[in-house]
Amino acid sequence: MKRLAAVVSLVVLNASLTAQSKINIPFETYTLPNGLTVVLSTDHTTPTVAVNIWYHVGSKNELPGRTGFAHLFEHVMFTGSGHVPYGVHDRLTEGAGGMNNGSTSNDITTYYETVPSNYLETMLWIESDRMGFLLDSLDLAKLDAQRDIVKNERRQRVDNQPYGRVFEILSKTMYPPSHPYSWPVIGSMEDLSAASEEDVKNFFRLYYAPNNAYLTIVGDFDPAQAKALVTKYFGEIPRGNPIKRPVVEPVTLSSEHRLVLEDRVQVPRVYIQWPTVGEKNDDRFALSVLGAILSGPRTARLTKALVYDEQAAASVSAGQNTNEDVGEFMMTITPRPGHSLTDLEIAADAVIERLKREGPTAEEVQKATAGEELSFLRGLESNLGKAFQLTNGAAIHGDPGYFRTEYQKTLAVTPADVQRVANKYLTAGRIVLSVVPPGQTGQASKPAESTKVP
Amino acid sequence: MSRRIILSALCSLLLYAICPLPSALSEAQGTLDRSKQPPIGKAPDLRVPTWTRSKLANGAELAVSERHDLPLISFSITFLGGADQFETADRRGVAGLTAAMMSEGTKTRTGDELSNALQLLGTSVSVGVGSESGSIGFVSTTARFADTLGILADMLVNSNFPPEALERLRAQRLVALEQAKAQPGAIASRVFPRVLYGDAHPYGWVPTEQSTKAITRADVSGFHERYFKPGRALITVVGDVTPAAIRPVIERGLAIWSAGGERPAFSYPPLPAARPTTIYLVDKPGSAQSIFAIGLPGPPRGTPDYYALQVMNTILGGMFQARLNANIREEKGYSYGVGSGFGYGKGPGPFRTGGDIVGDKTDAALVEFMKELRGILGARPVTEEELRTAKESLVQRLPGTFASVTAINGAIGGLWLQSLPDNYYQQYTKSVMAITADDVVRVAKKYLDLEQLAIVIVGDRKAIEEPLRATKIAPLTYLDIEGNPLRDGQ
Repeated sequence: MKRLAAVVSLVVLNASLTAQSKINIPFETYTLPNGLTVVLSTDHTTPTVAVNIWYHVGSKNELPGRTGFAHLFEHVMFTGSGHVPYGVHDRLTEGAGGMNNGSTSNDITTYYETVPSNYLETMLWIESDRMGFLLDSLDLAKLDAQRDIVKNERRQRVDNQPYGRVFEILSKTMYPPSHPYSWPVIGSMEDLSAASEEDVKNFFRLYYAPNNAYLTIVGDFDPAQAKALVTKYFGEIPRGNPIKRPVVEPVTLSSEHRLVLEDRVQVPRVYIQWPTVGEKNDDRFALSVLGAILSGPRTARLTKALVYDEQAAASVSAGQNTNEDVGEFMMTITPRPGHSLTDLEIAADAVIERLKREGPTAEEVQKATAGEELSFLRGLESNLGKAFQLTNGAAIHGDPGYFRTEYQKTLAVTPADVQRVANKYLTAGRIVLSVVPPGQTGQASKPAESTKVP
Repeated sequence: MSRRIILSALCSLLLYAICPLPSALSEAQGTLDRSKQPPIGKAPDLRVPTWTRSKLANGAELAVSERHDLPLISFSITFLGGADQFETADRRGVAGLTAAMMSEGTKTRTGDELSNALQLLGTSVSVGVGSESGSIGFVSTTARFADTLGILADMLVNSNFPPEALERLRAQRLVALEQAKAQPGAIASRVFPRVLYGDAHPYGWVPTEQSTKAITRADVSGFHERYFKPGRALITVVGDVTPAAIRPVIERGLAIWSAGGERPAFSYPPLPAARPTTIYLVDKPGSAQSIFAIGLPGPPRGTPDYYALQVMNTILGGMFQARLNANIREEKGYSYGVGSGFGYGKGPGPFRTGGDIVGDKTDAALVEFMKELRGILGARPVTEEELRTAKESLVQRLPGTFASVTAINGAIGGLWLQSLPDNYYQQYTKSVMAITADDVVRVAKKYLDLEQLAIVIVGDRKAIEEPLRATKIAPLTYLDIEGNPLRDGQ
């Protein structure tokens, strides 16, 4: 959710100059003496405000053996704080017809509310209290309760979900064990059980400090008043210790890693993943376009070849996933009955090889990017959507207005760019993971060459 | 990893309410008393969008609502009636298949050509037919509206249903049905309506392998011919338009769509005879969680008890902080999230409560579900605060209904489908706020008969069967993953 879908077209540039002027989110930004970055953007269309805080901490800031803290913390943050008893937050958001939620990734942890605009001060009271005074009310019983909920979340999303373990296996194979992107955001059951109260508190003291946080307010409010309120509630929270960011080395795979996983699935599926680049490498724009040229609409190359022409696949998808420091390009193929994963992998590879050799047409790039203007405009309909854009830019790129750069760089992708990144990244060094029903490892793609995942 | 069960990130399910009235700043900065909740200013009046109504020559109704802050237009045609009115039991799935076939080509464009044209316009046309309504529509920039409408009209009128496309889509659906067998949640969602409504009531029908295989091209073209008619349609246009300017554009764009069709009757067969509360256990060996779907047929949307039911359900399971989730997730830790709700329609849509429960807490969780149901029936009185919070929540989420052109479009179409008046939203607040604690208990008693519940549980039978029996809550019956009784009860 932290970025625009993809791209924009050359045609759009010419055809809709009027709309171009609307590709904008007016904002102002400043930093408090304690290091808190603040972004304000007014929009009086609906009488509501969105409040969004990003803490620049995610699972990559954890250590092996102590995984799952960042996400566990996201849960603890909803259990009340020094001056705000448990339940008040929900009562003052949901109970006011608004909403609140949080989310954790490898890179960041975010919290947000949308509320009637007369609740703005109340939200700042709650958010500042859990930034400054969370530990006042945290005890082992609370921690244990949230630990159980997180374990249920893990059961529901990973263990009890067909194909649910795939992403953990891919990360573990792609990155060496000490690499900050090698463990899952949700952590392991063992690590969650092992976390001590003190471990958890130390994690909070370091990472939930104003100098590691970005606060964005979007909607129907008065900026001068909002600034005064932000100072009132956040100004006195002390700056935390300096944070040492993990060193994230890019990875490459020297050869193909072939794996087969037996899972409680009815239909086999193959996942193919290549290491690519993260948020700060501009190749990601062409990689996103590459994904849209390969899969999605019926005329996309893989979709057309495997699903429509050969009708050997029930579905196929391909695309770039971008994290802050690393990224992956992933292709997923689900066969139709009577078709083997092996044949599908070979057919997909042939499509990709041809694209690498000949490059895409100008019209393919144009189609891939033509929807970007519309999707950007639709994002502007929601205060929260705008808040996410602004905060992402501030936290990851040091510029809340980064969405403009993103939009322009997407527009600028050429067929030659797409051909270049296809050749650079979609190489022999990759992971091929087949997921098959129990006892059916023979259904894997090239089963003889594939190693069984325990 | 989201705290709540996945909100589709950025947009519009969000919520809103009412205008700004700045609360006074504390004068004593630096000596901030954080133990006091800041004052909440007065909530402003609700701003409800307005729309104009008229009728096209072909009989379709037209509603236009202006909103000019962005160069966006949301267009849809909503059809009254759906699969339940226009399908037969042995062709279940033909409505959805027909909707998908409308992107597969027209008299003058192949499926690829349709797709290419829409991609270059930067948009897509979506078609869907649900159980009691259907729609076709798109969102476009203002500049691309007329071109996109032209493609929509071609799909609506000139679809040519290529046989090879039908076979491809059929095959995809068969794979999806196969995959659903591996998903405990999908199994529960198929089994639950069958248990409640049986095979004689459309509410109990789900597409099966057999019905999917039986559908012919003639079934599809016949459905298309019968169903997509202006006589049962409402066209809604919301966004950067004016009624006067857009009407001729619509008339021109839809000129090939000729008159016909009428509003369907929503007559349903009687419900199966009520059965005493029973646990219907579906075995999913090795499942780490048990999926609960507990409920019974409820009232139609038109019930005069609607507002009381909404308040009741909000207290019971309609919010994160509702009783069910507060107990079973937050206090007991048996689940990542549980809730409840009514599936309101023209007929007796279901009341359903449940969630995904950690396997070895299956019995304990069922005890808590029953406790909370007894509670809302009167065993645990509704507090003033519960009542106030539930009503505020319902009323103040209203502005979210109008937060985007798509949301406004859906709100207008929704009123029309349920035959609700255009001033419905202006009246809504008053109707909700009038509900009392006595109303809540009265409708709970009227509609949640604990002697006639269907308790569908999909889980690892070996592990949960005996603990469930030991709760003595209800007798156990065994179903296969399609919802058919297992022979000899085994």
